[in-house]
Amino acid sequence: MKNQLHRIDLDMFEGPLDLLLFLIKRDELNIYDIPIAQITKDFLEYVNLAKELKLYSAGDFVLMAATLMKIKARMLLPIEANGDDEIEDPRTELMNMLLEYKRYKEATATFSEMERFERPHYYHIPATWSPQQEDNTAILEDVKLYDIMLTFQYLIKNYEEPATHSVAVEEVTLSEQVGFLNGLLQAKAKLSFAGLLEKFDSRLVVVVTFLAILEMLRNRQVKVKQSKLFDDLLISRGSTFGN
Amino acid sequence: MIYLYQGVALLEINELKQIVEALLIATPEPLTEARFNTCLGDSNSKIPLQEVIRELASDYEKSGRAFFIKEVAGGYQIVTNAEFESYIKGLFSKSGKLRLSQAALETLAIVSYRQPVTRNDIESIRGVSSDSSLRTLLDRKLLEIRGREDGPGRALLYRTSTEFLQYFGLNSVKDLPRLKEVEDILAEDDGELV
Repeated sequence: MKNQLHRIDLDMFEGPLDLLLFLIKRDELNIYDIPIAQITKDFLEYVNLAKELKLYSAGDFVLMAATLMKIKARMLLPIEANGDDEIEDPRTELMNMLLEYKRYKEATATFSEMERFERPHYYHIPATWSPQQEDNTAILEDVKLYDIMLTFQYLIKNYEEPATHSVAVEEVTLSEQVGFLNGLLQAKAKLSFAGLLEKFDSRLVVVVTFLAILEMLRNRQVKVKQSKLFDDLLISRGSTFGN
Repeated sequence: MIYLYQGVALLEINELKQIVEALLIATPEPLTEARFNTCLGDSNSKIPLQEVIRELASDYEKSGRAFFIKEVAGGYQIVTNAEFESYIKGLFSKSGKLRLSQAALETLAIVSYRQPVTRNDIESIRGVSSDSSLRTLLDRKLLEIRGREDGPGRALLYRTSTEFLQYFGLNSVKDLPRLKEVEDILAEDDGELV
């Protein structure tokens, strides 16, 4: 058994459930009646091996090892019949988890197959420039939240706080920044987020302002456009602006 | 065959085929029937895109083109034939398309069958942290964030995208084999469970 374990390629498992399914298949165990003692022993051998190799994802495996040992202990306890209630098998939860995971793992093979089939086909994708684009900042109308977050991450990475030596308690609130942006948008139809960054002298203010934009976006007080990913965010009045 | 267009003008099938061909060349996303009719202008008589596509597709097939019209994500797009992959690869700096890892495929499978889902839903099924696969899938635009859960914590909800349908050559998520079907096929292979 030990030798067999060593021949397992440690990278081939996606997690503890994957390893358990492997052990069940290898030893032709019945998933509906798992021999807990045996599988716990095999599983622990694997976890110890993984520990020796300092696998960083060992945490999930250790957690499963603890669960297995708990189930094993509960199965050793004498069963007290409790009226007419059916006695629950301590393995039920684990069994359901395994069956659920197994369904998706098997579906993964279908996805893999579809991927292999589609791979050699290339879509005809036109060049991204559009000749009659008057306002080249409005190409990407459909800015996704994730795009905005990525852009923010990108912009703030390049943002340098001016070096100062004064120590002061900075006080800036979300509603203050919403008010601030409202004021700016009343005067100007469009605001550039990069332009705003230049006005601020602290990271905290930048972050709170960004949160204020997200809040206003949610309430449809503003709209956000972007010409391409990581490009400046353009903030304009939304449908409920000024309400 | 002649189609009525805008009540007055008459469009002949050859003209229509050319229009559709032009749209297919220029469209940044699958050309849908609705979009097609928008492109034709405010027309009361809807021209059946499917029919024109069928004609065009048979032209392409007869004349032996290197591409064909694919029905994907609820619309139509032009894609190259598989046999030219080795040449097309040379156009890109990376050696063709990168395949998704097993972890990413598992995550994708869970999202596509259970959407919208939270990261927590995914992780409780997989039994492992799925942060990095989610990130990969978002970066490759196969998944998108669609709002938040109502419950406590207001966790982000993930869904598959149009790019997901394109990537796997699907017309809609309804085209995915049902999970039960996958089980049946495998059961036939094995003759028994597990």
